[in-house]
Amino acid sequence: MSAKAQCNIVLSGKITDADTKKPLENAVISIVELNKKVVSDKNGNYRLTEICKGNYNISIQHIHCGTIVNHVHINNNTAQNFALPHTVNELEGVVVNGTVAAKGTQISTELKQRALDATRGASLGEALQKIAGVNVLQTGANIYKPIIHGLHSNRVLILNNGIRQEGQQWGSEHAPEIDPFIANRLSVIKGASAIKYGADAIGGVVLVEPKLLRTVPGIGGEINLVGFSNNRQGVFSAIIDGNSKKYPAFSWRLQNTIKRGGNAKTPNYWLDNSGNQEINFSVAAALQKQKSAVEIFYSFFSIKLAIFSGSHIGNVTDLLTAISSNQPPDYIKNVGFSYAIDRPYQNVQHQLLKLKAHTLTGGLGKLNAIVSFQNNWRREFDKKRFQSSSNDPQLDLNISTLATDIVWDHTSIHHVKGSVGITGSYQQNSYQYRLFIPNYEALNVGAFIVEKYTHKKWLAEVGIRFDNRSIFNTNSNLGRFYTNQTYSSFSGNMGVTYQIAEGTQFTVNASSAWRAPQVNELYSDGLHHGAARIEKGDSSLQAERANSVMANFTIQKKSWSADIAVYYKKIDDFIYLYPVNPPELTIRGAFPTFKYAQANIFMYGIDASVSYDISSHFGWSGKATIVRAKNRTTKEWMIQMPADRFENALQYNFSNSKRINDGYAKWSITNVLQQTRVPQTGNIPVTKNGVTTMESDYLAPPPAYFLVGIEAGAVYRVKENTPIHFTITISNLFNTVYREYLNAFRYYADEMGTNIGLKVKIPLFNKS
Amino acid sequence: MKKQASKFLMGMLFVGTFFTACNKDDKAPENEEELITTVQLRFTEVGNASNVLTYTFKDVDGAGGAAPSLNQQIVLAPSKSYTMAVKLLNESVTPAEDITLEVVDEADDHQFYYVPSSNLNITVSNLNVDSKNLPLGTTSTWTTGAANSTAGTVKVVLKHKPGIKAANDPITKGETDIEIDFSARVQ
Repeated sequence: MSAKAQCNIVLSGKITDADTKKPLENAVISIVELNKKVVSDKNGNYRLTEICKGNYNISIQHIHCGTIVNHVHINNNTAQNFALPHTVNELEGVVVNGTVAAKGTQISTELKQRALDATRGASLGEALQKIAGVNVLQTGANIYKPIIHGLHSNRVLILNNGIRQEGQQWGSEHAPEIDPFIANRLSVIKGASAIKYGADAIGGVVLVEPKLLRTVPGIGGEINLVGFSNNRQGVFSAIIDGNSKKYPAFSWRLQNTIKRGGNAKTPNYWLDNSGNQEINFSVAAALQKQKSAVEIFYSFFSIKLAIFSGSHIGNVTDLLTAISSNQPPDYIKNVGFSYAIDRPYQNVQHQLLKLKAHTLTGGLGKLNAIVSFQNNWRREFDKKRFQSSSNDPQLDLNISTLATDIVWDHTSIHHVKGSVGITGSYQQNSYQYRLFIPNYEALNVGAFIVEKYTHKKWLAEVGIRFDNRSIFNTNSNLGRFYTNQTYSSFSGNMGVTYQIAEGTQFTVNASSAWRAPQVNELYSDGLHHGAARIEKGDSSLQAERANSVMANFTIQKKSWSADIAVYYKKIDDFIYLYPVNPPELTIRGAFPTFKYAQANIFMYGIDASVSYDISSHFGWSGKATIVRAKNRTTKEWMIQMPADRFENALQYNFSNSKRINDGYAKWSITNVLQQTRVPQTGNIPVTKNGVTTMESDYLAPPPAYFLVGIEAGAVYRVKENTPIHFTITISNLFNTVYREYLNAFRYYADEMGTNIGLKVKIPLFNKS
Repeated sequence: MKKQASKFLMGMLFVGTFFTACNKDDKAPENEEELITTVQLRFTEVGNASNVLTYTFKDVDGAGGAAPSLNQQIVLAPSKSYTMAVKLLNESVTPAEDITLEVVDEADDHQFYYVPSSNLNITVSNLNVDSKNLPLGTTSTWTTGAANSTAGTVKVVLKHKPGIKAANDPITKGETDIEIDFSARVQ
């Protein structure tokens, strides 16, 4: 049985316009898995040759029509006709570049392939910072939360494999509980334009998308190995997937990641107790038939994160002592390297089980149903008061969410296609030990419709959504009950895209979105882990509403390309934390106390990425992220907004040799300005040189900084079909001492010094 | 087709019920362990053991929640010496837990500081010591001078310094377990 004999199958057929029934010339027919493409002739005929036996996704795209992706089983020469634009796109749609219709009018940027490879080993938030318009909210060297257009936490929705991540998003030190190794593409949809994912994503949506399940019979996979010099972190990640030869409809995938890092080092000292340990795995299996499919996915995420011991303070006096000494005390600074994780630390576990199925509804479309169950268990261990104290955590939060989505994607009727769906979820949270978030139950119900109209170079999209959220059975373990809350409202989105040429298009969209106050904003009452601050909710908070306009221009010319987005958001009743004076008196002294309040604000900004090929080997690229936010009533700047960030990079691409391909070296400079746009006065008494003034923060934002980085990579082919990817990254090349405004630990310590990362990706067997 | 779709919806519904049934019951009420709710300063006049004065700071629900429920002013007579014993209690549990015992058990990791404001004629000395002869301060001697016309404050601080306690530690070293400004006067 020779492999060659099986690989001469021909797939051929005719492409027609579903509405006019006329043949379509210049449609691009491609086999997604094989990266094989042909163009239909003037009679609409196409012919793909030298195909091996297997199951493939066939994509058909045409400039004037929608894109369709069909799943076909090929055993022998096959004739298959396709009619466009009878599009049947999944909820998470297979994005095909260059077509107006597939993407819709959302403004999104993605990280994949080489750019994603270079971020391997980093956390999700850290990786996303590579995208213009995304900043990170940091807590030390381990905790990164994505900020999109200046907004974060509950205002950024993260979809893990199509499921809305329901974790404990209560604070800046609660990072998303997702293993980025699961993804082969990370996308960020900026703004509230993607209303099918939920109304509350005022900042944006992050999509963590795994590779499609294998459809070619056999077993394949890859191993990723990553090492970092600074904190001596090692990462092992493996993925194996397969497709049954006997039952070609059955595919599966196993994936796991193990990570361990020790104390990180700033240019001048080690950060005592800053290690991390992570173990994650996931299992996926699917039965994919021509007209229906069922998929099951389970993932387990578990992390133990040390919290830098110098940041764990007792009260406001300790905080002021830390600030005035400008560096950690000697007994913390003089501790060397260690992998050991001591108190204070966090232990977080997240489990997700997803069942997804779809079935074609005649020629009209496709019905999708998803049921998911998630459990998030977060424990925070403070320093012990006495050695004899128990090993129990101080904070223990456990949240479970059961959610269902039923979505019907309908095929194009007179150039209009779209989705209608209903979503529902039930959530329960319970705590033990210290009260921070009370026990509660929540019910969400939503319904949406999104329709797209395509005509020639135009695409118009309209979406409307209704949501109802209720929080009930809210109580503390000491028997205190809180009032039930119900919020409901509409959100909507409208957008238009005009495609000027392939890769060059202009999009404008307008949206109105709202977000119900979350439990922490309503009822939190207590100490925040190690941050020595008290947060108090306000049960009278109203839902906030954001009305925004965004415009995006992308252009792709021969030697240069650009992607520029501008936006303006007007947010009414924006919920934020403000410091209360005087600070709360406790037995441990005065504690900085913050209360949730609402204000009418506006925000605007620009994200730009531009690249220019100077020669066939040399290229320049630049990125800028600028955000402005002001209180409309007081005309003051909003606190905690990202400072202007610029990145310039020069890249050299090496010529391919027989064994080494795609070699490149990149030199980049990141420049972050000082945040000068902060409220001029506030409620925090700060004494400097004997003079006490009322400030908005304990410490003014840190000065601007420049960081130089290097990245290089190449693919080495041991054998023809065994490419090994190597990437080297060096961050903070010159070991620059700096602090970042959006790092909660900027009061206590410098940022990490030079860090060299080595990343290797090795393909596994690829038997077929 | 229709049948297939409805069968499939039923299946989904079934799975949903299964998971709902799995939800745990509410957990038993528990509170933060070793919470210090009460600091009691007990003064016994030297040479007159029947003159005992007790001053208390109390915040029964811990940090956050309700404000401290008791915050007394210390009033000492002029030109006297007092032996002061500090007592820490957790009164959020019944019976109340005496946390002072644990501080004494781990004396090598703890230290009390008593800092009278400069306008007060109070001197604190003679702090008891730990196994390494470093100050602990669960007992101390307070000596008063002439009467003060105005009140001042005495800062009472308990520092936790596991493994790092040394001679002549400044008050800023370590993590703060207690920090109270007691209003005080000599009259």
